Amino acid sequence: MKTKTILLAAVATALASASYAQDKKTVAYIAPSLDISYWQWVGYGVKEKAKELGMDYVEYTSENSPAKQMDNARTAVTKGVSAIVIGPVSSTSTPPLLDYLAKQKVPIAFAGIGPQPGLTNYTSSVTANNYDTGKAQGKFTCELAKERGGNKVGMLSLPQDRENAQKYLKGAKEAFAANGCDLVQMLETRGLTINEAVTQANDLLTANPDIKAIYGMYDEAGSGAAKVVETRGLTGKVGITVADGSPTTIALLKKGAIQGIFFQEAVGQGIDGTQQVYNALTGAPVTQDLALVMPLVTADKVDSPEAQKVIARVFPPSN
Amino acid sequence: MTDVTNGNAAAKKIRTTTTRAPGLLLSYRTEAAIAAAIVALMLAVGMFVPAALSMGNMQNIIQAAAPLIIMSLGVFLVVLTGGIDLSVGSVFSLTGMVTALAMANGADGVTASIAGLAVGLVFGSLNGFLVTVVRLAPFVVTLITYAVAGSLAFIVTNGRSMPIGAPDFWLLNSGELIPSVPNHLLFCIILMVVLEYVLRKVVLGRWFYAVGSSAVAARLLGIPVLRIKLAAYVISGLLASFAGLLTVSYILNAEATAGSSLMLQAIAAVVIGGASLFGGTGSAIGAVLGALMITCIQNGVNLIGVNSFWQGSVTGAAILLAVLIDRFSNKNRL
Repeated sequence: MKTKTILLAAVATALASASYAQDKKTVAYIAPSLDISYWQWVGYGVKEKAKELGMDYVEYTSENSPAKQMDNARTAVTKGVSAIVIGPVSSTSTPPLLDYLAKQKVPIAFAGIGPQPGLTNYTSSVTANNYDTGKAQGKFTCELAKERGGNKVGMLSLPQDRENAQKYLKGAKEAFAANGCDLVQMLETRGLTINEAVTQANDLLTANPDIKAIYGMYDEAGSGAAKVVETRGLTGKVGITVADGSPTTIALLKKGAIQGIFFQEAVGQGIDGTQQVYNALTGAPVTQDLALVMPLVTADKVDSPEAQKVIARVFPPSN
Repeated sequence: MTDVTNGNAAAKKIRTTTTRAPGLLLSYRTEAAIAAAIVALMLAVGMFVPAALSMGNMQNIIQAAAPLIIMSLGVFLVVLTGGIDLSVGSVFSLTGMVTALAMANGADGVTASIAGLAVGLVFGSLNGFLVTVVRLAPFVVTLITYAVAGSLAFIVTNGRSMPIGAPDFWLLNSGELIPSVPNHLLFCIILMVVLEYVLRKVVLGRWFYAVGSSAVAARLLGIPVLRIKLAAYVISGLLASFAGLLTVSYILNAEATAGSSLMLQAIAAVVIGGASLFGGTGSAIGAVLGALMITCIQNGVNLIGVNSFWQGSVTGAAILLAVLIDRFSNKNRL
């Protein structure tokens, strides 16, 4: 009798666990590569939000390969994940992926990079508003140049084959034209390293010594430009603005080596993307396109509660 | 003992052959051609952007080239012995991360630098051991260590870039042990001169050429082939680490991806400099000039404002030109 009771209790516990396991949802985060801090930070946002929503979290990296990205999606579906948050390798790599996930009825949210324009078979796309940010950063950069007695500006750009880079540039060019500034040269990065940005900033200022402000389209560009401006004894004479934001550029902002950071909310994109797929799973309303504004933080406001709130959505506290 | 005596005799023979060359310029004709090409390139860029010829730009070029020059010297030694070292870029990155991590944990600049150099020593020794003792193919061995060191560069700090806290660490790269000569330039000159002298004038150096020309013949002549190859990999690892240290000292920041593009550039520099990937030819001066050529191309493309994606094509064209010049000059010699 006693043995029977124990057996029944064990079966009941096992069934309850199985039922709980079935109920517990899992979100998969597929990053284009995890060797870039930005995508680690998006992953942190996904993980934290998943924890808050009672979801399990798994992570895959596509190593910048569209084929690997597709393999990851198939593996995730095979493992039975409930939803996917993805930073795609590129916008153009997304159509087959979306077709596959639509057939599998798995909700998907994009973070950082959106799907190919024209597609609609996705749950949500949470990206930065690159065009408006480009405009705002362009205007601010132009103002810095004018404060320093000129209207020539230079740019350290992301590769212009990226859609976000094209939007930044379009916005910035419009702002330069509207505010009377002249973009004298733009150099595109290949390696996204500070060392490369140092070399490019040096070359930019050698070819155009009358540049009064530098527009950095990515975080390392700001660090590289600040290093060069300091080495050349031009601190205060050449202004620097940067997009993205990191502990390194925040330190430079506080030092006065950079005048403004337009923060891209990497963690926030992970959080919002996870919330959207969760909404889709639970039948709550979903916003298909969320273009997050990239707020400007200047040195005098970096320690304010508002700025700290923004920074908390940029990178994890451990950084 | 007999073997060593034979080895010395062989090396003396090679050296004698070299000293019979009709003149310094003739023995360095590949290097002279590269130097002329660099001057022509800079003059051409200067026609579009006069500032290209300014002293400031020359300093920029030397600063940008210094890590590549140092790394290329190490890769050259390996190539000279008929091997290849694909791990240098990852070792470069890992060195920076280890150095920065050591400083973040309270180590002073010297201790942290030693920890960084240990990365090169360990990976260079591992490469050498696997190539010479286990007898694995150099390409496979260094491809493995490239992957491992590259992965460790992310693991040690979880992929985060690390700022350098030590206030005086910049002196390693930008200080001046000799007034008006920045350290990075001084290190490049010293390494190039020492290596060139040893390779040309010292028996031990001639062994590197002998091993690269024919390892079998060198062994029969009593040259310690395995030890020479091992030394080449260790030196290559150490120089890659030193290049990483200089870069970290310059930008005061360590990044896990810092060296990712440098490995191919270093191999390209060695080939442009006149070395054969089959071993046995080339010079340290050639490797330095090859690295300078690549940096000048990058600088010129940036100054003129050509899309930076063209840099790879221009560098490829320079390699092709160098290989063709070398091939036809050798043909004429025969």
